[in-house]
Amino acid sequence: MAYQFDFAFIPDYAGMFAHGLAYTVGLTVAGGAIGIGIGIGGAISRLWNLRPFGNLYRYYVELFRNTPFLVQLFLIFFGLPSLGIKLVEWQAAILAMVLNLGAYSTEIIRAGLQATPPGQIEAAESLALTRWQTFLYVMLRPALRKVWPALSSQVVITMLGSSVCSQISAEELTFVANFIQSRNFRAFETYFFTTAMYFGLALLIRQAMRLIGRHLIVRRPLS
Amino acid sequence: MPLVSTNRLHKFYGKNHVLRGIKLDVEEGEVVTIVGRSGSGKSTLLRTLNGLESIDDGVIEVDGARLDVDHADGDTLRALRQKIGMVFQQFNLFPHLSVGQNVMLAPQVVKKMTNAEREGIARDMLSRVGLAEKFDAFPDQLSGGQQQRVAIARALAMSPKVLLCDEITSALDPELVNEVLNVVRRLAAEGMTLIMVTHEMRFAREVSDKLVFMHEGRIHETGHPQEMFARPATPEFANFIGSLN
Repeated sequence: MAYQFDFAFIPDYAGMFAHGLAYTVGLTVAGGAIGIGIGIGGAISRLWNLRPFGNLYRYYVELFRNTPFLVQLFLIFFGLPSLGIKLVEWQAAILAMVLNLGAYSTEIIRAGLQATPPGQIEAAESLALTRWQTFLYVMLRPALRKVWPALSSQVVITMLGSSVCSQISAEELTFVANFIQSRNFRAFETYFFTTAMYFGLALLIRQAMRLIGRHLIVRRPLS
Repeated sequence: MPLVSTNRLHKFYGKNHVLRGIKLDVEEGEVVTIVGRSGSGKSTLLRTLNGLESIDDGVIEVDGARLDVDHADGDTLRALRQKIGMVFQQFNLFPHLSVGQNVMLAPQVVKKMTNAEREGIARDMLSRVGLAEKFDAFPDQLSGGQQQRVAIARALAMSPKVLLCDEITSALDPELVNEVLNVVRRLAAEGMTLIMVTHEMRFAREVSDKLVFMHEGRIHETGHPQEMFARPATPEFANFIGSLN
């Protein structure tokens, strides 16, 4: 094997890598937080069949879970301008991430809510709680606790999927790697380093989700 | 005027006619025990009283709150439920909330009490059931008997006019039954209006002012428990008592 590994260029591009990493983290945090929020709203709309949201959510969930992320991204970035909605790259990227994760987390969280023992709801009803109070104070936290591992995995999957956003020139980690590699032709070293960064980031996100989950699980006073 | 009164109550599960015209009056301070074979409709009757089961005909009135077939919307149900506490066979404590939070939740979100008010009430109610020191414990750290006593405290914290007890000792280990019955006994002595479904016949005989024997969806025989046990008026009730021994 004649190839000589050379990682010496990496410090020269530290700033760019950092920029790409921060961009990816930003996409993931925004997509994760808003996406899970959408998922909670979607889950309860679907569970109670709230009109008109229950049905809208149904079509939305089916649409986004049965089409490729790249096509969703292209539709938002290249397609929407035809309808007069122009988004810059980062806006389109976040929107695609949010909608994608929102669809998956709707189904994940719905499963958690569905697993609420009927006795819990009866107890809340017998205490004269409204439906929304029952959802908020009795159903939501145990449901999130049950599905938190699945939700954490979905956030990681979405983070990894964000590399696709390089295709619309959103300057996230993969975009940066492509750029650097096209300059120095050190494809192996560049993508090897990028792989390591994604791997580290995925572990970090799992850890962060675990900590957030611990606050859901941990026994803390209300409000 | 009775505190709780039902008239012409009917309930169907599909084609199964489980309540066939129930008329039941309960006076303030009265302790009423509903007994009957499984499937006789006794639990269903109890659960219709606070709207956990819908009714297909009839009227339920509790201390001025009225529910009938045409008036069973959320506000009506909640008005009724504020007058009625309920304790369940399976305790149904909220596992993610501490004992104190379990008791304070409804005073907080339904009655909009301040922090100090609801904590005061929760501590009072927990000491009433002998669990003042468990305020910060979590349900899974308690025995079944203790959990059920917390459930009673949780219901009492809403100052209900009447407390429904749906087989509240059936899920307990035998040695834990008495601590729960003692709490109920004390409530009865304090003048709380109670409507219970139970299999603890000795207890029912001891504390009840009125015994209601249900059979095939109807109140088949009712009266004072001592007299009913001594001289059953119907062969069905005689048969039921016979099957207990």
